[in-house]
Amino acid sequence: MPFIKEIEKYKSLSIVGLEKNTGKTECLNYVLSRLSGSTKQIALTSIGVDGENTDIVTQTHKPEIEVYEGMIFVTSELHYHKKNLIAEVLDVSTQTTSLGRLVTARAKSSDKVMISGPANNAAIKDLISQMRNFDVDLTLVDGALSRKSLGSPAVTDAMILATGAALSANIPQLVYKTNYIYDLINLEAVEDELKECLLPIQKGIWAISDRDELVDLEIESVLLIEKAKDKLFTKGNRIFVNGAITDKFLNFLRVQKQIKEIEIIVRDFTRIFASPETYYAFIKRGGRIKVLQKTKLIAVCINPVSPDGYCLNSDELKQAMEEKLKLPVYDVRKLNKN
Amino acid sequence: MKLRTAIPQVKGLQHLVESMQLQSGLGKRYLLDMPMLYQAEEINRELDLVTRAYSILSGKKAGLISKIQTKLMQVRDIKGSVKNMKANLVLDDIELFEIKSFALVSDEILKLQNEFESTLMEIPDLNPMISILDPENNRIPSFYIYDSYSDELATVRKEIKELKAAIKADPETGDGQPLDDLLCQAEAIEADVRAQVCERLYPYATDLEKALNQIAHLDVIVAKALLAENLGFTRARLSDSTTEYKGMFHPQIKETLALSKRKFQAIDIALNQSVCFITGANMAGKTVILKTLALCQYLLQFGFFVPAQSARIALVDRILVSVGDDQSEQNGLSSFASEMVKINEMVEASIKKENVLILVDELARTTNPTEGRAIVNAVAEIFNENQTQSVITTHYSGLDSRCRKLRVKGLDKDFKSGEINKNNINDYMDYSLIEDDASSVPHEALRIAGILGINQQIIAKANKNLLKPDSIFCRENQSCEA
Repeated sequence: MPFIKEIEKYKSLSIVGLEKNTGKTECLNYVLSRLSGSTKQIALTSIGVDGENTDIVTQTHKPEIEVYEGMIFVTSELHYHKKNLIAEVLDVSTQTTSLGRLVTARAKSSDKVMISGPANNAAIKDLISQMRNFDVDLTLVDGALSRKSLGSPAVTDAMILATGAALSANIPQLVYKTNYIYDLINLEAVEDELKECLLPIQKGIWAISDRDELVDLEIESVLLIEKAKDKLFTKGNRIFVNGAITDKFLNFLRVQKQIKEIEIIVRDFTRIFASPETYYAFIKRGGRIKVLQKTKLIAVCINPVSPDGYCLNSDELKQAMEEKLKLPVYDVRKLNKN
Repeated sequence: MKLRTAIPQVKGLQHLVESMQLQSGLGKRYLLDMPMLYQAEEINRELDLVTRAYSILSGKKAGLISKIQTKLMQVRDIKGSVKNMKANLVLDDIELFEIKSFALVSDEILKLQNEFESTLMEIPDLNPMISILDPENNRIPSFYIYDSYSDELATVRKEIKELKAAIKADPETGDGQPLDDLLCQAEAIEADVRAQVCERLYPYATDLEKALNQIAHLDVIVAKALLAENLGFTRARLSDSTTEYKGMFHPQIKETLALSKRKFQAIDIALNQSVCFITGANMAGKTVILKTLALCQYLLQFGFFVPAQSARIALVDRILVSVGDDQSEQNGLSSFASEMVKINEMVEASIKKENVLILVDELARTTNPTEGRAIVNAVAEIFNENQTQSVITTHYSGLDSRCRKLRVKGLDKDFKSGEINKNNINDYMDYSLIEDDASSVPHEALRIAGILGINQQIIAKANKNLLKPDSIFCRENQSCEA
């Protein structure tokens, strides 16, 4: 039973696809089916909407999420009414999402369900902590990465990454791109004290001075960095950026003379939107990036089939990936067959 | 008038309502929708409840109140479900869950209240509803169409489970869609059961609605009592004739002063059914007095305790306030014009002999002093003739001698020069009110301006101006003497 024992060590786990059709839902279903035999209380939710019957973007078949008897799941009112399984309502949220209030329910039979959840970080965090009220040991979060979402899967303790031919149909390229995300996930976290200070800040760009004081640089966004280059390093070389880190920003930093002293802090790895080439060039020059919220990557799942029908050699891909990442890699479809 | 509409009219009210410890959204809505009370018995009924809660808070059973508050926190507003129930609609599982969890919390609050010597707030017994929604008697706030509602349902569900297991083992068992048929069957039975459950619940809709209302009210009463305890409010007695406060204070200002370790000087004031002028130096707290009077009147008539040591208050039908800090430019009126519009409303209410409380801050201050004084005296005369309970603050001398006058003592002690500055002037100010029959008012503007550190040139030049024979000051004194 690969990686299930590892999963049980954590309180929360997100399963994240690097691209549509990289087999995230299949991976989630696999994890759920293996956990269905566990004595632990499992809860399931999602960041934003998920569990559509067919994938709206690519019109390909998309498996629904199977919930097993005894598991707790959180979904929106709208999807709750569409369910087939028998479920006991445990709670209804006071806040509403675009699909109605969130219903927490315990499955009384096993069947497929559409799962949707809160769309922003704070709400997901709250939800995970509320699950304690129902004696939940492990909360699974159906994560989103490539989508434009305010919610980031990095709020969970651990993460499984789903990657595959949909991201790139060329094995070295696919390994390179996956490895980039792997490197981002492994970015060092800032010290706890600083994390507590920075977490509540939701806007702007801040400098951390040598005496550990926070100074608002009064720059709205890194997208406007062109206009405020002069302000950036007036208070120190440690900069906390709330928004996204772009190619343009990293390229600007790369040519600064004090590049080796520069340390950028971001909320979590999903805020880095730069291309791998730019990122590695920045790192090579001596620049550093740290994160506030760090999550542990425990496994990578691969889907060798792309939606346009291209099929990579599963074993070859698995081997190449394992060699590069030094992490367990699984083809979920093969696991299911065994 | 609802509390919701009164809040924007008095500044301090918003702050108080926000600082109330209401536990449920239900309670918040109930509070904001509370109507202003005009009948003595209505007010006394509400105040009796607050008094009961207030005395429990200082007694041995204070812990129960916080227990009740914890339960109130779990209360959700289920007005939508109640409405659907009253319309005899079939409710869905989520609505039934909401009703069940509300009924359970309501029952727990009822039980907690039984530990008081007598119940604070009557709540209908919802146990009949609970037993309908809790056939397995778990008393857990969760709901689904339980197997125990229908043997038939239990059988079908069992068959579905077995068939699913069979299909998993051998997918061919699923041919001919026996599973879909069973699922349809189960759904139909569930719908029937749901309709039956709702049918049994309908008779209790009124009880449920009442419980919802009473629990919201309980939340408000407890919050009012806590507010009174935290801020040192007192229960006002209702008076048929005059309004009288002993040790009246403005809660928000008192709080702000307390933050910098300073004390708010509470004041005594008595009003009667006529006009009353308040005079006094600048910075003597005249405006605060008016604001506090308005605040107290509203608080009482929304069933709150009031910020004073003791109070006897006459009820009014309307409170009309003109404190010149609103944005009149937006209406395209000058500050004088917008004031006159307000004064007009007041005077008309007075002529109609309405039972109102009128509070005017520095009437006609934005025009020339000669006409200003004439307006003040005219308005006062009207209020006096019609016996309208009103307070007007003013800096004008030569006030109608028939009117009652109160003066803020102000800086009436002797001080060394340089002893007072703008930071400590509040500590030297004596804010208490005294009856005053002099026709002139204190002339302390320049002295206070000096204390505030205004440019010496202004003060020197102004003092010189006062000595000129044609100065307003001299004219004023002459006219008074004449």
